[in-house]
Amino acid sequence: MNGSFSTRMLRTIAAWVVVAVFFFPIYYWTSVAFKHGNDIFNRPPKLFAFTPTFDNFQKVFGISLGSGGITVTPGGGNFYMAPRVWDSIVIATLSTVLAVAIATVAAYALSRMNFRGRHSFVGWVLSTRMMPPVAVAVPMFFIYKNFGLIDTYTGMVLIHALMNLPLAVLLMKSFFDDIPSEIDESAIVDGASRFMIFRRIVLPMAKGGIAATAVLCFIFSWTEFLFALTLTTTSLKTVPVVSSTFVTSIGTAWGNMAALGAASIIPAFIFILLVQKHLVRGLTMGSLKQ
Amino acid sequence: MRVAQARRFVISDHPLPWLLPLVAILLVFTVYPLIYNIWLSFHEFVPRRRALEFVGMENWVQLWNDTRFWQSLVITFTYFAIALVFELVLGMAIALLLDSDGFGFGFLRGVLTMTLVIPPAIVGMMYLLMEDPQFGVISYLLQSIGLLNPNNPILATASTALAGVLVAEIWQWTPFMVLIFLAGLRALPPEPYEAAMIDGASSFQIFRRITLPMMSKVIAIAVLVRGIDLFRVFDYVFVMTSGGPGASTYSLSLYAWQQTFSFVKWGYGATLSLVTLVIILVIANLFIRIAKVKW
Repeated sequence: MNGSFSTRMLRTIAAWVVVAVFFFPIYYWTSVAFKHGNDIFNRPPKLFAFTPTFDNFQKVFGISLGSGGITVTPGGGNFYMAPRVWDSIVIATLSTVLAVAIATVAAYALSRMNFRGRHSFVGWVLSTRMMPPVAVAVPMFFIYKNFGLIDTYTGMVLIHALMNLPLAVLLMKSFFDDIPSEIDESAIVDGASRFMIFRRIVLPMAKGGIAATAVLCFIFSWTEFLFALTLTTTSLKTVPVVSSTFVTSIGTAWGNMAALGAASIIPAFIFILLVQKHLVRGLTMGSLKQ
Repeated sequence: MRVAQARRFVISDHPLPWLLPLVAILLVFTVYPLIYNIWLSFHEFVPRRRALEFVGMENWVQLWNDTRFWQSLVITFTYFAIALVFELVLGMAIALLLDSDGFGFGFLRGVLTMTLVIPPAIVGMMYLLMEDPQFGVISYLLQSIGLLNPNNPILATASTALAGVLVAEIWQWTPFMVLIFLAGLRALPPEPYEAAMIDGASSFQIFRRITLPMMSKVIAIAVLVRGIDLFRVFDYVFVMTSGGPGASTYSLSLYAWQQTFSFVKWGYGATLSLVTLVIILVIANLFIRIAKVKW
C-alpha cells in the first residue's frame, strides 16, 4: 500500500474529491437554511454568493440573532417546530431506554445460559427484524385506535422500542459474548447469584457496548418515518413527519424545512461520533466486530 | 413462601425470567399483527355499512389479477437490485480508496458517517429540491451539460423518476457499505498480500484473488442487512413521488400503505403487506442458508 509520493498524493486528492461529492448535498441543504427565499429560487442555483439570514431558524425554532445576542421567543404559526423536536426527543429517549433495558437482560441469557432452542430463538429475533414496517403499522393502527394510543407518547415509545429490539438484542449479545464466561463461573463458585453477576460484574464491563446500542436505537427512532406517519395524527408528530407540512398549496417553504433538517442532523451526528468505535458492529447487528 | 420461591426462580439459572419481557413485547407487536393481517386479508371494509365483512378469497384473487401489484413487485425488485449493485461497487471502491493511515483519512471517514444519521424522509426532501426542474442544483447541472431536457422534470417523467429516487437512496447508503468494508479490509491478515507482492501479482489480481474471497463473509452480511431495508423501501418514494408519475415508482410497501390509509381498502392492504413480508422472509432466510451467515 506504500506507493511513491505521487501515487500517495493522487490517492489523497481522489479521497478528498469523493468525500466532497458526498458532503455536497449536506452543504447545499445547510446553505438553503441560511438563505432568503429569492436566493433559494435563483437560477443558476447560488452555492456560495448569498446573503446569509437567520430568518428560517427564527420561524422554525423561535431563535433570533440580534444585537443583544441570541434570544429565544416561543413562536406561533404553522412552521414553529420546537414542540415537534421535543416530541422526537422524548420518543427517541424513552424508547431507547425501554429497548436497551429489555434487550440487555434477554441478551445476557442468550449469551450465557444453555437451553434448548436457543439457536432458533436467536433466529426468531432476527426474523422479526425482517418484518416490513407496513405489515406491523396496519394492524397496530387499529389496535391503537381501540386503546386510544394514537397520538400518544406511550404508543410511539412502544412501537419504536419494538422496532429496535432485534438490533439491540443481537448487538448486546455480541458484546456479552466478548466478556469471558470464566468471570461468571468463578463468581458462581464464590456464591454469587446470576442476577448479582449480571448487575455487579457483567453490566459494568459492557458499558461501552450499552452506550453504542443506545446511540443506534436513538438514531433509528429519531429517523423513523412510517410508524410515526401512521400512528400520529395531529397533536403529536416527529421531525421526519412534519417535514412534509412545509409543502403547502402556495409552494414549499424550503428555507424553513432546511433549517429544521439541518438542525436535526447535529445531535445525531455528535452521538454517532461518540461511539464510532462500535459503529460497524452496530450497523451489522453485532455480526461484524471491528 | 410463594414470594421466596418466585424470587429464587427469578434469580436462578432458568432463562425464562430473563427472556420474558422480550418475548412478551415481540408476541404483542409481531405475532399478533401477523395473525391480524392474515385474518384481515379475508375481510374487506364496506364503506356503505361502515364495517368489515368476510369476503373469502376475494382479496387474494384480486391480488393475482392486479397489474398494479405485479408492476410494484417488478419496481421493488428493480429498485432493490440497482441500489444494491451501486452501493456494493461504489462502497468497495471508496473503501479501498480510504483504506489508508495517511493524514486526514480518519476525518474523511467521519464525514462520510454523516449521511447515515439524516432521516430518510428529510433526505427525500433534500433531493426533491435538488432535482427541481427550475432551481434544483442537480437538474441545473444535468441541463447545462445537455444530459437532461428542461421540459422533462426528473421526478415527473416516468422514465427517469425511479433513477431520481435511487440517487437519494444510493447517496445515503453507500457510506454504510464503505464503513463496513473498511472494517473488513482493516481486519485482513497481511501475509497473503506479502506473498502476492513477491510473486509479482498485479493489483487487480490481488483484489480479485485475495481481497474479494477473504471479504466474502463481510460482503454477505452487508448484502443481508442492506437488502432487507431496500426491499421495504417506503420513505423516499412516499416523500419524493408518492408512487408516480403513473405507477413508475410504486414500491410494494407504498402500495400496501396507500391501499389501507388512502383508499380505505383495509383487507387488500393487509393482503399486500402480507405478501411483502413473505417475500422478504423467504429470500432473506434462503440467503442466510446459502451464504452461511451466522449470528
